[in-house]
Amino acid sequence: MSDREIDLQLVEQVREGDKRAFGLLVEKYRRKIIRLLSRMVRNADDLEDIAQETFIKAYRALPQFRGDAAFYTWLYRIAVNTAKNHLVARGKAMRTISDQAMNDDDEPDERLVAQDISTPETELLSKQVAIAVNEAVDALPEELRQAITLREMEGMSYEEIAEFMACPIGTVRSRIFRAREAIASKLRPILGTPDDKRW
Amino acid sequence: MNTTHEAGDSAYDNLSALLDGELSDQGARLAIRQLRDDPTRQARFAEYCAIGDLLRGQHEDLPGLTRKVMAALDDEPTVLAPLRKPREKRPLLWLAAAASAAITWGLWSALPSQESSAPLAAIPTPADVMPYLVAHQDYAQAVLTTPEMHYTRVALSGEAR
Repeated sequence: MSDREIDLQLVEQVREGDKRAFGLLVEKYRRKIIRLLSRMVRNADDLEDIAQETFIKAYRALPQFRGDAAFYTWLYRIAVNTAKNHLVARGKAMRTISDQAMNDDDEPDERLVAQDISTPETELLSKQVAIAVNEAVDALPEELRQAITLREMEGMSYEEIAEFMACPIGTVRSRIFRAREAIASKLRPILGTPDDKRW
Repeated sequence: MNTTHEAGDSAYDNLSALLDGELSDQGARLAIRQLRDDPTRQARFAEYCAIGDLLRGQHEDLPGLTRKVMAALDDEPTVLAPLRKPREKRPLLWLAAAASAAITWGLWSALPSQESSAPLAAIPTPADVMPYLVAHQDYAQAVLTTPEMHYTRVALSGEAR
């Protein structure tokens, strides 16, 4: 089942009355949406309000989501429109032009100038997290580091990674899982995600 | 690095594969069902999502956002709008319609040429089909003149497309 089909499955669960499935979609796309919005707004408070409103609007609009576009493409459009409306309502100008936010294939165009809206606290946390991730990856055995890098940064499928690393697909799956577990154990103290506490 | 992991950790292996879109349809549905009711699994899922984002340089975050969104959804009406049924069932309707058209066309083909505009009842027909044709005259004409059925009529008549 592809990533797009997984999103569709989660959407279907939400549309059948399971709100918790929507939380999984929020977790999955939270950083992407935040990154997008951070390029469009100056103020950190505005950013949080708009991000929250984006997901709530997406939840309300789920009955209209037909799956013709990928879920993230649809969510991206909601985020851009929400940011526009929010800033116009508050009399503020947008920093980037959302008309350029879609490429020729009508897919989100991520090639926008990054804008720093960090506070000292969030900047410090981001640095801590970035350092922890890099250290965790550097500490991995070579085969795990290669597998997780090819998957997350190169976007290769398990089959492609297996061919590249000359190993079975099952081994690739195991290596990526073990890499994630090792990195997660290093990040957990910083991110503060206790196992028994979710949304 | 400790290459062994607790027996319980292998339970999250399918979660890792789910995130990569590398499970079978059945396996993915099972993994998603397992996620629904298990906060520990949900926490792992969130961590795996975060790892990917961070490795791709997406460091911007609002850690409490998910909790705030879900708290806000408590005040929202529950969405109840199941997706429509799979398309696989639709061909049965077309098959039934095509079969009806084929039967009707077959009966029409048994008749003399239709160039004359004489009503069906006035054209000599085999005696055994006459009652059927009279009874289904209106329906048969409606089916044959329906645009959607044109392709079926052409195929049955053997004409080239």
